[in-house]
Amino acid sequence: MSVVDDEDATLRERLADEPVPALRVLAVVAVLVAVEFGALANLVMSLPWDAVGAALPGFLQGAAATIAGVGDGLAGLPTLLSRSVIDNAGYQLPSGEWVGTFMGLSPAAAWLLRVALIYAYGFVWLLVGWWSYLVYRDNYRHADWAPVDDMVGRFRNHSWGLFGLAIIFAFVVLAVFAPALGPTTVDANIADPYLHSIEYYSEETGGVEEIYVGDANGESQSRGQGGENVGPMQYDQYDRFHPFGTLPSGKDLFTFMAAGARVSLFIGVASLVLAGGAAVVFALATAYYKGLVDLGIVIASDSIQALPQLLVIMLASFVLSGTWLANLYNGGVVLALLFGLTGWPGLWRAVRGPALQVSEREWIDAAKSFGQRPSVTMRKHMLPYVVGYLLIYASLTLGGVIIGVAGLSFLGLGINAPTPEWGRAVSAGQPYVATPSWHISLLPGILIVIVVTGFNALGDGIRDAIDPQSDVETGQQDQTAAAGGGA
Amino acid sequence: MVADSSRSDAGTAAEPADDRLLEVENLQTVFHTERETIRAVDGISFGIAEGETLGLVGESGSGKSVTARSIMGLVDSPGELLPDSSIRFDGRELTGLSETQYESVRGGGVAMVFQDPLSTLNPVYTVGNQIEEALSLHRGLSGLEATEKAIELLEDVGIPDAARRVSEYPHEFSGGMRQRAVIAMALACDPDLLICDEPTTALDVTIQAQILELLADLQEEHGLSILFITHDMGVIAEVCDRVAVMYAGEVVEQAPVVELFENPRHPYTRGLLRSIPSTQRGADRLETIEGEVPTPNAPATDCRFAPRCPEAFDACREVHPEPVPVATETADADADHTAACLLYPEDETREQAVDRHAIEDAPPGAGAVDSGGESR
Ligand code: SF4
Repeated sequence: MSVVDDEDATLRERLADEPVPALRVLAVVAVLVAVEFGALANLVMSLPWDAVGAALPGFLQGAAATIAGVGDGLAGLPTLLSRSVIDNAGYQLPSGEWVGTFMGLSPAAAWLLRVALIYAYGFVWLLVGWWSYLVYRDNYRHADWAPVDDMVGRFRNHSWGLFGLAIIFAFVVLAVFAPALGPTTVDANIADPYLHSIEYYSEETGGVEEIYVGDANGESQSRGQGGENVGPMQYDQYDRFHPFGTLPSGKDLFTFMAAGARVSLFIGVASLVLAGGAAVVFALATAYYKGLVDLGIVIASDSIQALPQLLVIMLASFVLSGTWLANLYNGGVVLALLFGLTGWPGLWRAVRGPALQVSEREWIDAAKSFGQRPSVTMRKHMLPYVVGYLLIYASLTLGGVIIGVAGLSFLGLGINAPTPEWGRAVSAGQPYVATPSWHISLLPGILIVIVVTGFNALGDGIRDAIDPQSDVETGQQDQTAAAGGGA
Repeated sequence: MVADSSRSDAGTAAEPADDRLLEVENLQTVFHTERETIRAVDGISFGIAEGETLGLVGESGSGKSVTARSIMGLVDSPGELLPDSSIRFDGRELTGLSETQYESVRGGGVAMVFQDPLSTLNPVYTVGNQIEEALSLHRGLSGLEATEKAIELLEDVGIPDAARRVSEYPHEFSGGMRQRAVIAMALACDPDLLICDEPTTALDVTIQAQILELLADLQEEHGLSILFITHDMGVIAEVCDRVAVMYAGEVVEQAPVVELFENPRHPYTRGLLRSIPSTQRGADRLETIEGEVPTPNAPATDCRFAPRCPEAFDACREVHPEPVPVATETADADADHTAACLLYPEDETREQAVDRHAIEDAPPGAGAVDSGGESR
């Protein structure tokens, strides 16, 4: 510690004493935010605010609308990594020259450059996060050592966990930067293809022509046998680049997947926040009070678990379809709610054991013995021990939820139709699996497998990191808990 | 003394109850399991005066810790206190208090030092943080003020360099330091009664002596009453004013400490004393009491020590002994020495004595004597 003489200072005082490292971190963060400020605002605005707005009382709705206007304005700010800066849309003249793309690069190269930059940007954020942890640890933290240091140390040596982290990082970047990552946008390519048009060089007329995206899509379908196919990393006849090929409808699969990642991540995280919150509260209460409280929750959770989760969600989403709830975030909110409400017993079961275990520890008795209130005892002395387990199981369950949502949309349920969802891509490509258009089902399928594996790996890594007894070498073999809980 | 012996309520014989800070009477704590009801504490009575240290001694499984937890109100289901039990602290009846009401007793009234200092301290918080938690609850201190007070308390319990150590984690403390910190935590609540549940058992001998000394000092300084629970007669000799010997959920002998060591009356107490190393000088090996403490699962209809008692006779298996005054002529007349053994009172014939116990046992548990055999 650099501030040896002032052990009792609060964090604020320590910051004031030695502001330089913190300011350095802040400066880097500010730069990072500045280059992407528009996109951040855009991301904020893309959340289902309508739902919030609708729920507000009348006099607040006006204010909300004002804020929404400001937000939209901010969202329109230019950003460094946006499509408009590094554009991959353009057409090729017979001379081979590209028109309209970033610095005349081919669309593939421009797109790859943008993807590389965006991932690099995301990676820088990751590094900044790590850096600020180090700065905090070395400069501002009260204690020289805290248990979390060991956990971080163990995780850093856990290659399987790091692999999971890398995949989840890639997935999250895909979801967060979806609008900038796709070679085109959901709006232009998927949702309203007849409101947007593109330019291309026509050999028939020998000049640049304009065509509706919808019409262009019709000419770039992937339908296997018939010879119509735009495979991965190919151009269609309008010089549009398709990293993952096109859907049977001719829409761009990568754009579809990126937007779908957002939907999956939203549903997964929202449902887990709900389920995890309920699970933790119930687990702490059962472990602290035991007896009747425990019994009541056991019965409630047993009743829920006795129901087939997917079937119930299917029924419920069918029943709810057409209500205002089902329209929030294109059905995403209702799915998150349903997965959360049916998912908490699994998580609760997972954390109840550890909670019961800590509740037997002597420091709980000690806290009780000096008259600490139950709520404080639970929060301060039990929660920290349960959170780790919750993270593990949440990570494992998230994979399950993603599979579950994909499964539902594979069956044509859940997310409302034009909104991209991975399962629908698998479903759309199903008739073409054994044809040249294999990519439609296979690529989303592989992505689902990879992402779910990544969440499981991350969960394993966190588990071994939390457990001081775990040996990093052997820890990887113990994957008993690795079964996804959602589906 | 003879007149005194007519009192049936012999367990609390000498002093009137209200004088004492803590008054435990007929405490019965049972645990319900599917197969049986375990009577972990089975009708014990004792009291602690202000500034006094009472030692509660016995083998593991004799119900000492359950007694402590009962006083703290920390008996969780499936355990419960039977309705006749009474725990009066500072004139206030504690049995039957709600959890919220109990919170006002815990800490500020009665604080507890647990056996294993490592597991009493939460490893994810600094020692200072945990002391400050108690301080904020009981003295309304927070922030810098609390930290200062915590450092002061750590100094009080003899932790060197307290200003630095206050921000260290429990694992950075040695075993003895941890126990000191735990004691500091208990003191932070400013209690009147401190319950020490085997506070030195997890420590090695030299450290143990230091902690005992510290407790004695603190007692003097703060005018604490202490309930000291241990299985170690040697420790009892060092710290206690009075001793209650527990066996299988019952207090079998109670006496001032000197009297008990000079004049152990109950065969179990004698066995315990014979197993202390220092009283065995010259002997080749320590004597031990053969066998184990039984788990009481029904009201007693016999002497629970009988299977292990070297002096047991036939009646011991049929009559449950009650505490009777047993002070010898040499001791103070008011020495408040009781033992629950059919051998006493010594000045009566064996039959008379047994009859007396049988009669005294009958009224409070009349039904129990009859039905005891069946209900088992
Ligand atoms: S009552 Fe009998 S068995 Fe029990 S201690 Fe006395 S002599 Fe021993």
